[in-house]
Amino acid sequence: MRPGRPAKLPVFSKDALRFASFAAIMAYQLYRNTTLGNSLQESLDELIQSQQITPQLALQVLLQFDKAINTALANRVRNRVNFRGSLNTYRFCDNVWTFVLNDVEFREVTDLVKVDKVKIVACDGKNTGSNAAE
Amino acid sequence: MASSANSNPVPKLYRSVIEDVINDVRELFLDEGVDEQILQDLKTLWESKLMQSKAVEGFHSEEQTLHAQPHQHAPQAQVQAHTQQVVLPSTHQAPQQQVIMQDPKVLQHMTVTGMSAAATAATLALPTGVGPYQQLITTNQGQILQVMRAPNGAQYILQPQQQVVLQQMQPGGVQAPVIQQVLTPLQGGIPQQTGVIIQPQQIVLAGNKVAQNTQVMQATAMTAQASQGAVQIQPQQQAAPPQAQTQQPQQQQAPAQQPPPMMLQVDGAGDTSSEEDEEEEDEYDEDEDEDKDKDGGEDGQVEEEPLNSGDDVSDEEGQELFDTENVVVCQYDKIHRSKNKWKFHLKDGIMNLNGRDYVFSKAIGDAEW
Repeated sequence: MRPGRPAKLPVFSKDALRFASFAAIMAYQLYRNTTLGNSLQESLDELIQSQQITPQLALQVLLQFDKAINTALANRVRNRVNFRGSLNTYRFCDNVWTFVLNDVEFREVTDLVKVDKVKIVACDGKNTGSNAAE
Repeated sequence: MASSANSNPVPKLYRSVIEDVINDVRELFLDEGVDEQILQDLKTLWESKLMQSKAVEGFHSEEQTLHAQPHQHAPQAQVQAHTQQVVLPSTHQAPQQQVIMQDPKVLQHMTVTGMSAAATAATLALPTGVGPYQQLITTNQGQILQVMRAPNGAQYILQPQQQVVLQQMQPGGVQAPVIQQVLTPLQGGIPQQTGVIIQPQQIVLAGNKVAQNTQVMQATAMTAQASQGAVQIQPQQQAAPPQAQTQQPQQQQAPAQQPPPMMLQVDGAGDTSSEEDEEEEDEYDEDEDEDKDKDGGEDGQVEEEPLNSGDDVSDEEGQELFDTENVVVCQYDKIHRSKNKWKFHLKDGIMNLNGRDYVFSKAIGDAEW
């Protein structure tokens, strides 16, 4: 052992580096405006109000929620839905599609749901996890 | 999974997401020195709100699974009463000042009975023993409901149409738009209190009957005896002229206090129609009819407001009387259009239809525009 020899830094493979950076990328915040997301936000707001947590911590929780819901939807849901209706409006801005449809029928194997009006907000699904958009 | 085809995947999915999130943030909580108990509080609050929303069928807490209850509504109903106790007191503390609506249209569309999150609203059965107060409760739609308890025990749920944008409370600031509503019915024995509409920094009180429309409320509030009012009027109100959005109520405010300055008008004089003006305008119109039409909205003249007010095609009023706005939040694989035939290829979505939650991994749709 020679004193003074600098320690070698561990060498990460390219894949490992990519993975590490990937984990730091934010997932879509798209799902925050859902029942699940809103109830989480409300709960966090209450805790902030009563000063039990800091807003910063709440934000971290929401970011974690984004990751969890994106992963869960991608991996744990396996069903198909079909729908048909008439398109009232469409918008494509910042790579987000927003549609408003009227008189829509949503059909799953098991059941059928009809609504007069529905709004669809869709983010780009090609490169999931690489954007922070809602 | 060898589950039956009829099993609803939503509760399981939500449950698993909650577990994942709670477990993942446990470390964060510890790092910040926040107690584990608060983490459990978060989880409890989260679950209770989900149950309250009734958006998920058969959603149950882990405690109930220990009791091996079936996924019925009965446990939900029992838990609702309990969870409301949990929820309400904390929301009661929410200072109203933090709720800010920046859209002046909110006032026009507010109705006492309108609720877009009917599920949530329906569960807000406030305990009758509680005295009058205001609550701000965010619903699962992200809107703020204001629940008023009147002295006579009646409840009013006021629902803003727009989503709330949080927070800029500028203390003493001139333009901090704080809008609140205070409604109390006027009963015989009750000292006349607040019938209030609030526009930026204005709180006008008058005793009157509750009306469904805030405009009406404003009108009736103003017509109520002026002697009643002005208990809480902020000094800024007299200084700052009301915004252009205000209409008659502003004029009727005059008896209530010092006559406020008239609406700021930036398009010059010549509002009312006199014969001379009409003649001139007519000639002007013939020549530049198109321009006048286009600028019709910008003139802002009093006469033209009624003409242009019907131009807005707003479907919103039809829907807001009812239920949730049906929303699908997802990602798109491919959106295709051919002439007016659209095809949608979507994935990983959460839907809220007719108050219920659904999920899908893939959705394919057709629509004609």
